[in-house]
Amino acid sequence: MSKAILTDVTKCIGCLECVSACNAEYDLPVDVPTVWQKNDGLSAKNWTSILRQQPEGRYVRIQCRHCLEPACAAACPVGALQRTAEGAVVYDENKCLGCRYCMMACPFGIPRYDWDRALPYVRKCTLCIDRIRDGREPACIAACPEDATIFGEREDLLVLAHQRIADHPDRYIDRVWGEHEFGGTGVLYLSDVDLEFLSYRPAMDIALPKTIEAAMQSVAPAFVGMGAFMLGLNWIIKRRQKLQGGHGSEEE
Amino acid sequence: MNRVHVTKTILWMLVGLSTAVALTRYMFGLGATTNLTDATPWGLWIGFDVMAGVALASGGFVITAIVYIMRQERFRPIVRPAVLTAFLGYVAVILSLLVDLGLPWNIWHMMIYWNPHSPLFEIGWCVMLYTSVLLLEFSPVPLESTSRWARVRSVLMKLRFPLVLLGIMLSTLHQSSLGSLVLIMPFKLHPLWYSALLPILFFISAVALGLVMVSFEGLATSWLYRRKPETDLVARLCKAAAWVLGLYLVVRLGTISAAGQWALILDGSWESFLFVFELLVMAVIPMILFAIGRVRRAVSGQWIGCSLVVLGMVLNRINTGGLTMIGATGDFYFPSWMEFAVTAGILSFMALVFLSAVEHFHIWSEQPHEREADPHASPEFSRSGEVWLGSPPVAARTRYSFAFVMALAVGVALMPGERIRSSGVSQVSAQAARGGDTLFIDGNRDGFGVAFDHPRHVSANGDKASCVLCHHMNAPLDKQSGCTTCHRRMYQMADAFQHDWHASPKGASIACVICHEEGVYRTAGSALPCDACHRDLVPPGVTIEVKSYRAPSYVDAMHDLCVSCHRRKTLELTDRPDHAQCRTCHETPLPDYLQPDMADLLRRPGYNHVVLPAVVKGSN
Repeated sequence: MSKAILTDVTKCIGCLECVSACNAEYDLPVDVPTVWQKNDGLSAKNWTSILRQQPEGRYVRIQCRHCLEPACAAACPVGALQRTAEGAVVYDENKCLGCRYCMMACPFGIPRYDWDRALPYVRKCTLCIDRIRDGREPACIAACPEDATIFGEREDLLVLAHQRIADHPDRYIDRVWGEHEFGGTGVLYLSDVDLEFLSYRPAMDIALPKTIEAAMQSVAPAFVGMGAFMLGLNWIIKRRQKLQGGHGSEEE
Repeated sequence: MNRVHVTKTILWMLVGLSTAVALTRYMFGLGATTNLTDATPWGLWIGFDVMAGVALASGGFVITAIVYIMRQERFRPIVRPAVLTAFLGYVAVILSLLVDLGLPWNIWHMMIYWNPHSPLFEIGWCVMLYTSVLLLEFSPVPLESTSRWARVRSVLMKLRFPLVLLGIMLSTLHQSSLGSLVLIMPFKLHPLWYSALLPILFFISAVALGLVMVSFEGLATSWLYRRKPETDLVARLCKAAAWVLGLYLVVRLGTISAAGQWALILDGSWESFLFVFELLVMAVIPMILFAIGRVRRAVSGQWIGCSLVVLGMVLNRINTGGLTMIGATGDFYFPSWMEFAVTAGILSFMALVFLSAVEHFHIWSEQPHEREADPHASPEFSRSGEVWLGSPPVAARTRYSFAFVMALAVGVALMPGERIRSSGVSQVSAQAARGGDTLFIDGNRDGFGVAFDHPRHVSANGDKASCVLCHHMNAPLDKQSGCTTCHRRMYQMADAFQHDWHASPKGASIACVICHEEGVYRTAGSALPCDACHRDLVPPGVTIEVKSYRAPSYVDAMHDLCVSCHRRKTLELTDRPDHAQCRTCHETPLPDYLQPDMADLLRRPGYNHVVLPAVVKGSN
């Protein structure tokens, strides 16, 4: 069981009620544009935003995608980012040491940093994990007046999304963004325009933790192998020097 | 002043400068000192200090492998400097991390919170362990000057072979894992640098760089102390480096071939030129130079070849660590001078420790004689100051302390106050509203403004009497100043008074006592109000009181003015419950008599539905 969000780009009217609700829920301070923001409206003080400029005539709400196999959680050296049983990727600021590897590893460029604070933390959408555990839906979902963004079990939402495409084949592109991208994400998109711009390069269908799996699995063999190789090399050279007579290494 | 003195003075100045920057960074955060952004969270301190720094410190494991594992006795004279440089290099990496990490006091969390899937976790552990191993490998050297620690020293000497072996194994892991670090970013890193074999490429290049770095250090220190360079040993190291560089080229070009990326090298993008340049400098040219016997045996040839490899490898680490991600992120990053200062300062500090160790311990076969390390040398006299500076150690300490303190003071003075105060807020000038009867108020010209029906507001609020509800102040000698005269900045306070202009002889040239009363501490609060002189500044009957000479930002001013009045109206007009909501203003229907360019802005689809969250929160 894994919770997810389905955002229907064709239904969004861009009213920003979800953004207001998120800011109110987490008591985020007023966000003013800063030099270190990307131009997508997200910041340490704004965890969801609506892209208004592109694509033309559409509103696309962006937030943390809550990947099924999150790259940020695989990258974090102390496991400060974890995927919970509910499907939310949450951040533990008591573990974090501030290396910002999660920000580098996220293919959507979502995690944001408190650049202006001497005590900085990584900030991003939490999928309102506390509300979910209370049996409520996330604040942004509750605030949406058009039901453009809805919440539920990921499997149910996928069925619903494909149902909508089947019902209105003229209205949607036959693709649910987030179904397979980067191993599948917890935030799904239905759209009538191409949403490739949401990730850095056109989305791939591999889960990013897989890209480091081989390298990390060969760590132990490499460690032992290099040790054995060095010992063997040492033994051979020592023996050869002994056979050639003298010239051995004296201690110090 | 000889070469050593001048060099050390410069190094101490850099340390002082970087101390000032580091203090600022800890007090005001990374944003105040670095050019890092949400799109580029890793910069110079990771790309150069950590990625290149670890590679540059690879001389230690390479030389210990040659001498202790492969038993090449002729290289023994350079083991000690190589191990010492490696140890100091890793300390420099850790110091850089302490500056770069957002929460550096949590760096030990890696010991208790484990995520073994993370390459960074593995690198962190290896660096911790290997730095300890290097310390143990080196500590017999300082211990040999005292007899008290003889037992400890003999134990360490017995442990040397296992320590060397462990050091090589640990180095293999983290030198290659630095390559794994970026494997998780195939969506960002340019394909010419991204390869599944990055860990292996990183390890091979680290071995080559280790050979070259040891040679480079030997050349540099022999220049500094006017020692005779170990030309023969360096030539042998360079020859080995040529073979390793050749192997690197084969693997690197092999990965390009296997991925079918030859076309990318020739596509004329800046990355393709960078790739060719990097490969030429780090591997191809030095390999050819080192392969020619006459070149690698000449000191000048060694200098050129080694410098090229060092530069090329640093470039390679920076390219892999972030530079070639610019194409995907679209965020151009160039380090601030403060980032450069910290990097230079940490390296300088490590260089000072190295020079001090060289003068006090038996690192080289012949120890350089330094007057300042000799307490029995005759005292020094400064001609310029006409003072006795004391014995050479005291004189040196005085000079270096002076260099450090002065550089620290200069660093503090150079700190960008504007940047610290504004805490990163974009500097956007507010633009005046445009239009006739209907004003289009859009201070930052992003097309999401308000079409303000002026005649309607006038008639609804008592015609003539309504003016002063909004127009609360004019510039001197003006009757109809616009909002942007004082509320100049979109998101920040602006100075509406200009104190310095009033006081300057070139400006108003007013004596202090005209505004500031004699005998009272001179502050803005105790000074005369503006309308004591400028009687036409505030129109009669104004309800808005100006409390400060600093004008709020344009956004705040507009929202406060409109929203506060609309809130009052909500209570009066019981039939308009939505009167104070965002969409009341931000959803005004498009007037058809606007100028063409404004009409174009207003026709954009976002216009009619925008509700600014700041209004809701800032208005109570």
